[in-house]
Amino acid sequence: MQQVWDLPVRLVHWLLAALIAFSWWSVHNHHTDWHIWSGCAILTLLIFRLLWGFLGSSTARFATFVRGPKHVLGYLRGRWIGIGHTPLGALSVLALFAVVAVQVGLGLVAQDEDGIYAGPLSRLVSSDTSDAARDIHELWFNVVLALIVMHVAAILFYRLKGKRLTRPMITGRAAIAPGAQPMRPGKWWVAAICLAVSIGIVRWVIAGAPPFGT
Amino acid sequence: MLAACGGPQTSQANNAQSNISNDAQPAPTANASTTSNAMVMLAGPVKGQDAVRIMHERHEGMETIGKTTKALKRELDGSSPDMAKVRAGAAQIADLSRKASGWFPAGTGPDVGKTGAKPEIWQNEQDFATKLRAFQEAANAFNAAAASGDVNAIKAKFGEMGQACKACHDKYRSEMHH
Repeated sequence: MQQVWDLPVRLVHWLLAALIAFSWWSVHNHHTDWHIWSGCAILTLLIFRLLWGFLGSSTARFATFVRGPKHVLGYLRGRWIGIGHTPLGALSVLALFAVVAVQVGLGLVAQDEDGIYAGPLSRLVSSDTSDAARDIHELWFNVVLALIVMHVAAILFYRLKGKRLTRPMITGRAAIAPGAQPMRPGKWWVAAICLAVSIGIVRWVIAGAPPFGT
Repeated sequence: MLAACGGPQTSQANNAQSNISNDAQPAPTANASTTSNAMVMLAGPVKGQDAVRIMHERHEGMETIGKTTKALKRELDGSSPDMAKVRAGAAQIADLSRKASGWFPAGTGPDVGKTGAKPEIWQNEQDFATKLRAFQEAANAFNAAAASGDVNAIKAKFGEMGQACKACHDKYRSEMHH
């Protein structure tokens, strides 16, 4: 067993899953304030993961796992040896992060229908736009949900083929194929800086993105 | 305290209320509706076009309260709120909150027409009346603060009014109300 996922990647993954579930639960139980904070926490994770995708360990980096169509086809024909995201899985990762980013973006400018709660950037747009953003935010969750269902279905599909993907995402370790490049770990202090930067950006967003939104 | 809730203002809702009284039963008048919200709810049930009209007025009234609250939040979240707008909005909401006393007679629930009002309103009339009264008081307190011009008090009372709206909506408004 060798390391294939670093701790930041695993934490982002499970925190994202938990926060998406919490966001859904809180808004359906009239805790709109918790829902907004949850969205801000998700934004922090997204920014952190984006930075870590350039500065993290080898399996976390976009440059390693985001490949062109030729590699995707090669993978589908069984010609891929490696660790981390497969060329096909990479597309799923990008799609998941993209739809969650859209969802967060809509929530940031949305307002509730009573004018009691509003996303931190709602004042950058008109009241009508905020209302529209809320409606789309609500609909867009179905897109998020569809990708989550596909994500889980893919994991079950691989499980049937004998490949267990969940445990490595918990322990970070897996048996790696002969000839595969081992993971090059990132540095903990780089992760700390990425986290500090993402928290800083989100605090600025929560403040209404001054000077644009004060 | 609720003096502002009474008075002879003739709203559309109160007119509707009186019309219904004439049709259905003699008792409730606009004044009665302000002395006890519970009495308003117990009035009726209203029927036919009266129910349709009240439900329409309720919907329009709630829409206006919502729009005004959103505009107020935008002002109050900003660095320099336009006090004239805040005063006008606060007065409008306080006015509509009074009219809301006539918006929920029995016979205006989801079994009659499309509405976000849950049947629970008429199963818990006392609790609903208490919450409606709390909203009216909060709207009046916000209006009074707006008239005073004290920004911190305005923001505090605006927040309290929002929570009064929420307390009732959480329990008595369905999610499918568009």
